[in-house]
Amino acid sequence: MARPIWSGSVSFGLVNIPVKLFSAVSRKNVRFNQIESSTGARVKQKRVSSVSGEEVDYDDIVKGYELPTGDYVTIAPEELDALDPEAARTIDLQEFVDLVDIDPVFYDSAYYLAPSPDTQKPYKLLVTAMEEAGKVGIAKFVMRSKQYLAAIRPVDGRLMLSTMVYADELVAPSAVELFSGLDDVEVTERELGMARQLISSLEADFEPDKFTDTYRLAVLEMIDRKVAGEEAISSAPAEEEMGSVVDLMAALEASVAEAKKARTRHPAATATESSVKKPANKKAATKSAAKKTSAKKPAKKSAAKKNTTAKKAAAKKAS
Amino acid sequence: MPAAVPVRTEVAGRTLKVTNLDKVLYPLVGFTKAQVIAYYVNVAPAMLTHIEDRGVTFKRWPDGITAEPFFTKRAPDHRPEWISTCTGPGDKGKGIEYPVLSEVAALAWSANLAALEIHAPMARCGDIEAPTILVFDLDPGEPATITECCQVALSIQSVLDTVGLVAFPKTSGSKGMQLYVPLNTPHTHQHASDFALAVAQLLEKQQPKAVTSMMTKKERTNRIFIDWSQNTRHKTTIAPYSLRGKDRPTVSTPISWDEVSNGADDEWLSFEADDVLERIEEHGDLFAAVATLEQALPVARG
Repeated sequence: MARPIWSGSVSFGLVNIPVKLFSAVSRKNVRFNQIESSTGARVKQKRVSSVSGEEVDYDDIVKGYELPTGDYVTIAPEELDALDPEAARTIDLQEFVDLVDIDPVFYDSAYYLAPSPDTQKPYKLLVTAMEEAGKVGIAKFVMRSKQYLAAIRPVDGRLMLSTMVYADELVAPSAVELFSGLDDVEVTERELGMARQLISSLEADFEPDKFTDTYRLAVLEMIDRKVAGEEAISSAPAEEEMGSVVDLMAALEASVAEAKKARTRHPAATATESSVKKPANKKAATKSAAKKTSAKKPAKKSAAKKNTTAKKAAAKKAS
Repeated sequence: MPAAVPVRTEVAGRTLKVTNLDKVLYPLVGFTKAQVIAYYVNVAPAMLTHIEDRGVTFKRWPDGITAEPFFTKRAPDHRPEWISTCTGPGDKGKGIEYPVLSEVAALAWSANLAALEIHAPMARCGDIEAPTILVFDLDPGEPATITECCQVALSIQSVLDTVGLVAFPKTSGSKGMQLYVPLNTPHTHQHASDFALAVAQLLEKQQPKAVTSMMTKKERTNRIFIDWSQNTRHKTTIAPYSLRGKDRPTVSTPISWDEVSNGADDEWLSFEADDVLERIEEHGDLFAAVATLEQALPVARG
């Protein structure tokens, strides 16, 4: 069951609706631990004092803000809470805007805003009114000692809250040097036409279900294989193109006949084949000998077996 | 080299595109993809019974057995529309759509993907929480071989005798062998796994020099590891009649208990594609009863 990560109330005008915040996204990254390669032991991180080198208890750790001088101002959690206790419990709806006016770059994380059981009525009222107006509410609230800007919108009769980054947190494109000079580049109408055509040929309705994190699945499958004692991977070659329809068995027979002809043409191939006996025959030959000796001396038996393994290894090399 | 032109073929009423028929997948013996496909088409009547209702996993060697293989669990998107799928165990409780091979053409299709090995779960598609088979996977730790596997197999069967259960042996087509205990009555993976572990631990106690129930490599040296954990929900085992990606086109081959006895006496048990087709012609499917025989595991006391 999902657990609320914040509770408080949505307030706008004179209305105050108790709500709880639930994460709307559950990330599916594959998580790795750090392991010492020689022993397989988990690597533990210790918090140590930079002065004494001694481990520091969690209880003895406070937040510190580094000053330009290199000194620190230490701050207790209560001091942060005391700054704006009111805001800490309230999602304060400040204005309503059009969804299309918000550039996706501002969106950070998505949450559900759920009502408590006895405040479903005012919650429903707010959702319905927002749906009718077709607007997105812009709000501010404090969570985990940070003040967030948030967009609140109705989705299928429920409220969703997306935290947003502040405008002054955005990196200006001018900070990316590779963009410079782009404005002076010119493109011809013909080139543009081709690009347009390419885009229109790939036009589709966005269906999020179509996309999955194939890398994560590949990592998990690789882990499965390792657990199963298997190793190694590579990817499959793609298959393309068509011929006319023929009977499968006829095609197989033709191919096998062709392969046999090819082999008789290559003495090397035939030599390889005849020099390697089938283990069934080979074993039939060694069987009686092995049996005779094994009846009395188990030691001999393992010698016979070692012999087989040696042959197998030789066969492997021949390939 | 012959050109790798895809050929559109017809097999058992289905149209199937096959590629690179001349490609040698087992270089040591010059066994080509055409021969792999032909083997699977010919073995289909016996093999399908054991996989047709199970979501299978492929181990594929598109560049032959000297190159790196890879596993395919998820049914490829570019499969023919007549290849069905069923939901099987995935990660974090979400299922994966596994391919289901339920007809001759489907086996030809997977063979064309160079899926030399077909691994199947113990449960059928209809109820992936209920295994229809319990498996003892006998894995010889070097220098032990299939000979010692056969000896341990006989011991396992004598334990099973005491509770009235019948097991069916097959070679793994690699180094070891498996015993399949048909259930075909409601059981959980937990129950099957617990029972298999109990048998493994009993034999480990009786024959500590020959048997181990522990997966650690060190314990397995010159012992037979009875891998009871193959009965867990997400595990698959090499399917009966599947080829193996070894030096030669060896097959996981159902064998008789007489052969196991001879095997325990040092007769080598290894069968290749052609041997297997001959055996089926001669003896039929030695595993036929695995699909139908109804047996119940004893319920643990206490």
